[in-house]
Amino acid sequence: MKTVFRRLAPVALVATGACFATSNDVKLLQLQIDSMRVATVRSDSLHAAQVNQVIATLGLVRDSLGTVSGHVVKMQGDMRGDLHDVNEQLLQIQQLTGQSQNRLQELRASIEQRNQDMGEGAAPSPTTGAKGAAAAPGAAPTGAAPNAGEPGPNQLYQLGMEQLQRGSPATAVQAFQKLLQDYPTADITPEAQFYLGEAYRAQGNAAAADTAYAMVIQKFPKSPHAPTALYKRALYLEQQGNATAARALLNQLISTYPQSDEAALARDHLRELK
Amino acid sequence: MQLTQRLITCAALAACLGVPARATAQQQDTTRGVRIGLTYQPGTKPGVVVFPVSGAGGDSLQAIVSRDFDYGDRIEVIGGDAVQETARQQAAKNAVDFTIWKSLSAAAVVQISVTGSTAHVNVYDVSAKKVAASHDVPLSGAPNTEDWRMSVHAMADQIERWITGVRGIAATRILYVRGNRIYVIDADGFGEHPVSEPGTVLAPAWSPDGRTIAYSELVRTGWNVVIRDLATGREHSVTTTPGGLNITPAFSPDGQWLCYAHGVENGTDLYMASASGTGAARRVTVGRGSDNVSPTFSPDGARLAFTSGRAGHPEVYTSDVDGSNVALLTPFNFGDQNYRSNPDWSPDGRLIAFQSQLDGRFQIMTITLRDQTVKQLTSEGINEDPTWAPDGRHLAFTSSRTGVKEIFVLDAESGRARQLTHDPGARLAAWSHSTSAP
Repeated sequence: MKTVFRRLAPVALVATGACFATSNDVKLLQLQIDSMRVATVRSDSLHAAQVNQVIATLGLVRDSLGTVSGHVVKMQGDMRGDLHDVNEQLLQIQQLTGQSQNRLQELRASIEQRNQDMGEGAAPSPTTGAKGAAAAPGAAPTGAAPNAGEPGPNQLYQLGMEQLQRGSPATAVQAFQKLLQDYPTADITPEAQFYLGEAYRAQGNAAAADTAYAMVIQKFPKSPHAPTALYKRALYLEQQGNATAARALLNQLISTYPQSDEAALARDHLRELK
Repeated sequence: MQLTQRLITCAALAACLGVPARATAQQQDTTRGVRIGLTYQPGTKPGVVVFPVSGAGGDSLQAIVSRDFDYGDRIEVIGGDAVQETARQQAAKNAVDFTIWKSLSAAAVVQISVTGSTAHVNVYDVSAKKVAASHDVPLSGAPNTEDWRMSVHAMADQIERWITGVRGIAATRILYVRGNRIYVIDADGFGEHPVSEPGTVLAPAWSPDGRTIAYSELVRTGWNVVIRDLATGREHSVTTTPGGLNITPAFSPDGQWLCYAHGVENGTDLYMASASGTGAARRVTVGRGSDNVSPTFSPDGARLAFTSGRAGHPEVYTSDVDGSNVALLTPFNFGDQNYRSNPDWSPDGRLIAFQSQLDGRFQIMTITLRDQTVKQLTSEGINEDPTWAPDGRHLAFTSSRTGVKEIFVLDAESGRARQLTHDPGARLAAWSHSTSAP
């Protein structure tokens, strides 16, 4: 029996030994677990702090981007507004320039008239073209320059415009034709060519007006009246029942003078013709 | 004895007339009528005596004719009790004593007698001492009815043409807006009545024959252009550009076309449509986002004038009727914040009337097409929306000079103004085109 107890004693010790070790080990284990938890929590806090920092940074970046975007939008708006203002001012300047040119035109005609009155013959201003330029005050007219006492190009143009505006297109036609014949290279010639067409139109001579407009396009394609002449030709051809030719001229107008008002009207018109 | 009586009568008449007689005498050399063999000088007024009228409605007829001459601003009506008494005596005897009238600087004597529905008119040339014109003129309706008054106005206009060479404007009418309706009124301020149903209406315009009118009306889908037959009251909308803004219509001189402003979100442009309201409308301005409104045709129908904001603020522009050849008409200084708008082309084609902002107030001005010379016509109160009379001399416009908006008529030559309407809130006048039968 004693022998049995002796033999069972180590087994019992081993068996209960675990029970004795468990209490301490559990404490240790708990401590270890607690420390691990603390470490994990610290790690999580750190990570959370880092995430928060990243989020905050992202927020700052987003706000900055929003601010920048706002600035950009505002700047775009301001630039558009400025551009619009500049465009309007340019338009104003163009229109005022046009008015000034009208005044200059009147002044040139007056100067020519004065020179004529002073007996110096037709002495057009230096801007009156090849013949006019040769016929400076004191200089003898050359080539086909008008005889002394004959009106200069600006006088003829002024006369034609006045007659056209007062409802005497026949007289206006004569004035413009004489200008074109006597001063084919004068600065005012493209204007005269266009208003010759207007005078014919006022007379009710649509075919002659169309021919005059065609000459504007052919001879003076850089004249501000060229797109107008092209548009009027297209309308005339349409009235004549030639829609194909009218369409071709409208397309030519759009491609050659895309920024002109007449090109915008031509685009509308093409939609109707189709 | 007769000579003595005549001299006494002359002296009495001259005394009664006082300063006006002397003033008229100063014009003696120049106040002479074209149709009575003399030379009429613009800016002067031939003196005319209108005899008492015999027949039904004679007193009213004489008053209307005399007032029409006065409002026409081309004739000086020589009046007063003594003049009328002398005229009455001569009319009774059917004998015109030219010596008396010549002493009063009269260029012509007008004698009218009514028989049934016909007025017989004699116009005497005082200097030549003979009848210068003698005509029978039909009168419509019973005395003092609307038709009768208009036929008397037409007769007065014809007499004015015989005397001065220029037809009068009495037989014309003026449209205007007051409250929520469009009204029409005779050029002498009588016969006012509404010609549209109640609603929100704007910008009335006459057709050239005076039979129809066009105006803008606010409906559920926006502003429509409406054409109304004045005789039948029948209306139809111009639906070529449905929805949005359709305002400020104007008939072409041949009455075939209607030009009006059609607005969408991206600006307002002028469109040309058939006056019958059928077919597609064609754009005639390229505003590029700006507003282009208030078209007016040149008398030959070949050009348009209109208000455009394309340069940043409204100015008056002209273009060909097809929309090409656009040109700035009203001059302005760079950066000028005042603006000019609401043009109306004069019947003779020489001038365009418009409203111009001066120190925040609108005034009526004209500009010549030939050399862009600007002339200011008004300065009292706020004056807007000019419209030419068919004689190209008178203008009707909205004025606040009395404290409220009323329609006034101005003689552009003499500067004489008279109030046409007498109910507050009258505005947006449009004078009929025809001088014969509006």
